[in-house]
Parts: sequence; structure tokens; C-alpha cells
Amino acid sequence: MPSICFYFQVHQPYRLKEYSFFDIGTDHYYFDDAKNREVLDKVSEKCYLPTNRLMLELIEKHQGKFKISYSISGVALEQFEAWRPDVLQSFIELANTGCVEFIAETYYHSLAYIFSKDEFQKQIEQHRQLIKKYFKQDPKVFRNTELQYNNELAKFIEDMGYDAIICEGVDRLLQDRSPNSIYKAPNTNRIKSLLKNYRLSDDIAFRFSDRNWSEWPLTAETYAKWVHAVAGHGETINLFMDYETFGEHQWAQSGIFEFLRYMPGHVLKHPDFTFKTVSETAAAYPIRDTYDAHQLISWADTERDLSAWLGNPMQDESIAKIYALEKDIYQSNDKELIDAWKKMLTSDHYYYMTTKFWADGDVHKYFSPYESPYDAYIYFMNAMSDLSNQLKKKAQPRLKKK
Amino acid sequence: MLARKKVLMFGWEFPPVISGGLGVATLGLCKAMAPLADVKMIIPKNVPDFNIPNIELVGLNSIGRKELEELFKKEIHYSFPEMSVKKGPSFGPYTRIAETEYIDKKFYDVFHGEVHPFEIDDLYAGDVIKKVIEFARISVQYCLRTKFDVIHAHDWMTFLPAMELKIRTGKPLVLHVHSTEFDRAGEHSKNWVWDLEKRAMALADRIIPVSRYTGDICVQHYGAEPNKIMPVHNGIEAVKHTVKKKPVEGNLVIFFGRVTMQKGPEYFVEAAKKVLAVHPDTKFVMAGSGDLLRPMIERTAAYGLGDKFFFTGFLNKKMLNELLAIADVYCMPSVSEPFGLSAVEAVQYGIPTIISKTSGVAEVLNGSLKIDVWDVNKFAQYIIASIDLKGLRKSVVSANDESLKSITWENCAQKVMGVYESIFDEE
Repeated sequence: MPSICFYFQVHQPYRLKEYSFFDIGTDHYYFDDAKNREVLDKVSEKCYLPTNRLMLELIEKHQGKFKISYSISGVALEQFEAWRPDVLQSFIELANTGCVEFIAETYYHSLAYIFSKDEFQKQIEQHRQLIKKYFKQDPKVFRNTELQYNNELAKFIEDMGYDAIICEGVDRLLQDRSPNSIYKAPNTNRIKSLLKNYRLSDDIAFRFSDRNWSEWPLTAETYAKWVHAVAGHGETINLFMDYETFGEHQWAQSGIFEFLRYMPGHVLKHPDFTFKTVSETAAAYPIRDTYDAHQLISWADTERDLSAWLGNPMQDESIAKIYALEKDIYQSNDKELIDAWKKMLTSDHYYYMTTKFWADGDVHKYFSPYESPYDAYIYFMNAMSDLSNQLKKKAQPRLKKK
Repeated sequence: MLARKKVLMFGWEFPPVISGGLGVATLGLCKAMAPLADVKMIIPKNVPDFNIPNIELVGLNSIGRKELEELFKKEIHYSFPEMSVKKGPSFGPYTRIAETEYIDKKFYDVFHGEVHPFEIDDLYAGDVIKKVIEFARISVQYCLRTKFDVIHAHDWMTFLPAMELKIRTGKPLVLHVHSTEFDRAGEHSKNWVWDLEKRAMALADRIIPVSRYTGDICVQHYGAEPNKIMPVHNGIEAVKHTVKKKPVEGNLVIFFGRVTMQKGPEYFVEAAKKVLAVHPDTKFVMAGSGDLLRPMIERTAAYGLGDKFFFTGFLNKKMLNELLAIADVYCMPSVSEPFGLSAVEAVQYGIPTIISKTSGVAEVLNGSLKIDVWDVNKFAQYIIASIDLKGLRKSVVSANDESLKSITWENCAQKVMGVYESIFDEE
């Protein structure tokens, strides 16, 4: 009885404004509210609202047979609450159907696992509280930022009490094995690793509207046929993708919504096939093999590694320096400073600094709000400089009192 | 395999005088072309001991009186003075009437005067237009006796003889555009030189601008046919690094080039003022001379920045290398820069570079910091960031190093050969 496990990533960062060197010391607000709101509005109209509406319809239509999972970052939820409560409400409605599961992640969609385990745990807890508050669920499955994953992380998450963890099914680690079973890391006991089937996921997320693709235009029937072909040699097909695939990356005109509307029905025509949430998937199948990831992997680019966020001197310097403020930030006990600092941990800031597009692809360029990676870095460093000055100022008077 | 082609080239500044200028570019290209074609290079003056291996250099100054008499036994009827004098009031639509008379007189004087051996001291000063006409008269007469497959002319000073020869022989004409009157003088540059450039572009079989940026200028401001245009970026020769100790405290931010409107020196001064407000230890060097030099000195004095600003005047190659050896940030805020070889020279010294978007070199130095020249605030921020932020410096320098690998004269020469082939393929 093979099943399909759909998981969608929903995330929006707090983009920094074009914070100039000349703003340091005079302007203590670093985020571009206007821009962030504009992006949120645009994506809400093009993707979140219409897709949520469709998901709700599909759930009602298939009477419990269509199930999905979401991972929504804390910073995205915060922005929904502030600016688009209608979107938040539509997610709550989905949660109320009982066919939707919410996944744990770091509140700030951060790289904290690499730089501070302490902060990493704090952010997961902060995110858990928020999911409980809005959706009345206690997540059992964890997903790290952009599917960053290795053996050590799997163990860490197991020790935190989670049942399963989500990761990319990387060819070089699978070595001809299928991603369509449950795996585990070699160093863990019971936590299950769910591997993304990147071929079938990317057929929707990346290739759907590509007119040079031999399968274009992809119909729901054809896709269901590919899915059905797994019968007999696989248990779960993990389709993980950005939620913005629907309506934002793949425009409505591409037919993506029609595809989504009819695909579940075609898949369910085969009596052996079902849809499961992440927890149900983990519970339904036993561990079949080990998946040995020593190095950190991710779902990004062709390398499936961390090179989009780390590695160039700007990324390495800015992230090292922001984490170096961790102790002082918490000691300041200043809610606003802590909040600003945490929002600056969001991985997108470092992604905007990538210089990889000089060699490969315009993907990063499209996703960056800045003119160049240098600008992304300069604004970040300026803002951090102001943050750090503020911290120093707060610390000094206290010393004097002593 | 095509037969080895005979290329008749016209150059002006030879041997090179100005760093990063026309002479450097022509020389670099010539050297790299030697293995690929037979190049005969016609230049105003040659100096003893200046030779390029496998290139035939003909300095007009070396054609003696006797040889001239021989050449001019039967002089051709030159097309341009005729067109200019007989067919109406102007050489082209933009040559002003007063200017037309003035230019006509020069043509008249040259073509009705005695032929004497060509002499020129300063290639860019004095009555350049008259020298250009004299150069055309003698070189056309000389070249009609030689054999060539293609004519290749570098910038407007050499366009007259190249056009005449194209008309006379029907051989293909390739214009190499290192700089246009539009770059030098801006939107209101329409004059005789501009007209000459426009006519040459209309007549040419191919136009090789030194960047896509310049190619666009040829199309938009000269009406050149886009399908004739095949941009070829310049190369650069490897340098032996000069080592020098910094004579002053603080970070050194440099500008070098002609101090003229085209190069945007005032943006440099305005950005410097903003930088100095927050980093008073920074020092600025403006190397070069030009008509805006005095106004710039006056402006920095008026701002009270005299002790932070160093004006060096014109620098030769050796002095320039010394400057590059001690510089921390390089700025090229050119309003319009066809290529900008000097930015590549700074890259060779591992200096972070801030260049204007309106420059050809911005097309090859992907990793440079790029500015709109009018955005002085951003310009100042980039200078500050280049000084303060190690990660930025490292990233800019390493990206530039990567770009440098493909900025070679060999690549340039290969592409120029491709341009010739595209003409012969058509025939």
C-alpha cells in the first residue's frame, strides 16, 4: 500500500532595509517593513490564499483521503498575524480538518544548528509554542532549514524526542537505492528519516512550466501514472517542495492549479494508493536501510549542500560575527535587541550574499531583494554594527554603577 | 583553413604614451595578432628601437623626402575634401557652418600644399585635425602601393585614410572603436569628429567596439547598423608587481585617468567628502591631469580637505605602478567609459575596485562593486565598506582575480580574427 507524503515549506524572512553606513547610530530599526509587507501581500494573493482554498476543497472532496503537511516558519507566521490574518485564518481552517499536520523547525528558519546548539533548541521550542497556539498541535516530526541534515543532527533531534526527520534524498548517498522507503541514520536508534523523492518533487516544483522539458505540458493523469509505477517497489513517495511553487514559482497561467486540483483524484483511482501526513508515514512503515550523511546536505542547487549560504568570505564573516553576539544579546535582556538579532539569524540574509550566480544560474538573483550580494552584505554588516553599538551602550552604564 | 590574411592597420598613439589608453590597447592587440595574420601597421611616428616582433611598423615620419616625391608623382583625387567643398555647406549634418569652413580650409591647405615629410610632436595637442588630414593624405598614397585583404582602423584619427582606401579598393573596412566623441564630450558632442565617426561607421563592414556598452552607443548615438557590431573586450598584459611602502597613514583611495568631465572626478571628490566625515584618516589620490584638475583642487580646498587629498598630475607607468602598490581602494566613476583598462590594472594589484555601470569593463569584471555615478551616497558607502569590511574586500578581489584569467590579448586577437572571418565568409 504505497502512500504519498506531501510536505510544503512556507517561509518569508524579515528582509533588511538598505541600511546605510550613515544610518548607524541614528536608526535602530533594520527591517524593510514596506518591502516585506509588499512581498507578503503579493505571495498571499498569488499563492497562499488560492492554494489554501484549493487544499481545503480537495480535503473535503476526498473525505479524509487527501492529507498534507506543512512547515511554516515562525517569522512567516508572525508576518501573517501582523499583516495577513486572513492567510493565517485559512491555515487554521486547514488545521481544523484533521487532515493537515504541522512540522517542527527553527522559528527563524536559521542555520543555528551549525553555529549554536543552544540557540537551535531555543528556536525549536519557540516555534513549537507558536504551532500549539495557532494549530493546537504538538509537532512530532522535525525539518531543519532548507532540509539541512546530517547523521549528527538526526541523533540530536532523536534526543529531543521527535519521531522522524525530513531530509533530501541525495543520489551520492543513496547509491542507487530508492528514496521511497524509510531510512535511518547509522548512529540513531528509532528516529526515522524521510527522504525527499527529488525527481518527482522537482517535476512539479521546477520543471512544470518548462516548455523545453520533454514532458511538458505535464497532466495530472501522466503524473499519477508515474506515481503508480512505484507500486511494488516502494512504500512512500515523499514530495517535498516550497509552497510558493503554486502560483508564485509556477504561475497560475502555467496550469499548476488545475494540475493540483485533479492530481489527487487520479492518484487515488489506484486502489492501493493513499495520502499520508509525515507522522502517519513514519508510523506506517518500518526502517528499511541506513542513510549515511556525514557532511551536511540540503535541498539547494545541484550540489545539495550548504554552498548557497556559507563559504564565501562575506557569508562566513557576517554569520560568525552575528553569532558572536549571542551571549551579550541575551545578557542585555532587551526584548527589542534580542528580536532584531534573532531575525538577523534567518538563513535568507546569507543566501542573498551568495556569489554563486556568477558561475551558476540566476536562481539566487531572482530571490534576492538587493542589487548585488555585496549590497546584501553591506546592509547586514551596517545593521549589525548598530546592534552591537547598542549592546555596548546598554552594558556600559551598568558597569559604572558598580 | 583560411590563407593567412594581410591586415592593414592604422594606429595613432604609438608607442603607447598614456596608461590604459589607445596605444596600450593597439599594441597589446598587435602583439597577439602577430601569430595569426600578417599585420602592417601605419602610424604617425615611429621611434628608433621600438619594434614589435613579426609586425611591420610603418611610421610616416620615416618616409623621407625622396620617397615622398616618388609616391606623389601621381596623386589620387581624395574623396573627402571634394565632398566637403563642393557638395554643400557641411561635412555632415552636425558640423557647424563655421566649423565646416574651418575644416574645409584645413583640407584645402593640406591638399594644395607641398608634400613634406610627416612630423608630429605631441599626438594629442596642437592642430590635431590638420595632422589627421596630413596623416590621411600621405598614408593613403603610400598604402595604395601595398597589398592587403582587410583594413583595420583604430579610432577617429585614423578613419580618414581607412575610409578612402575602402572606397578606392573595395577591401573590407573594420573600425575598432576604443572611444567615441560621445564618451569624451557627452550628449552635446556633435561636431566634425562626431560626423567623421558617423560616416566611418556607415561605411564600415564591421565595427569592433571595446564593449557592448560602446556598441550600444554606436547604435543609439551614431545610428550604426546593429548587425555590423561585434564587440571585443580588451585584454591586459601581466605585470611585475612593484613593491613600495606607504608614505602616509590611513587607507589610500585612488582615482586615475584624465581629469575631465568624462572620468567623473567630481563624483570622486563628493564621495570622498562623505567618507572623510566618518573616516577622517582616509587619504585620497587623484592621479592625472585635465581641464577639471584645477576646479577639483579648488573644490577640495573649499571643503577644507586639502590635507587629505593628493593631486599627482600625470603619472607615467612606473609611477602608476608605485601608486597601485600602496593603494587600498580603486575608484573609476567614469560617466562614460568605453572599456577602462586602468580598472583591470588595479585588479592586477589585488585592489578592490569600484567602477561605474556605464563602463565597458563592468561587463568583464563581474565581481566589482558597481555604481551609478550620480549616486554619491552609494559610492561613499562602497568606499567605506571596502575599507571596513574584510569579507567584502576578499570577495571582490577573488571574483576579480577569476575574471582576470580571461582578460587576455590572446582572447582579444582570436575574436578579432573571428570578425575578419565573418566578413570573408559572406563573400
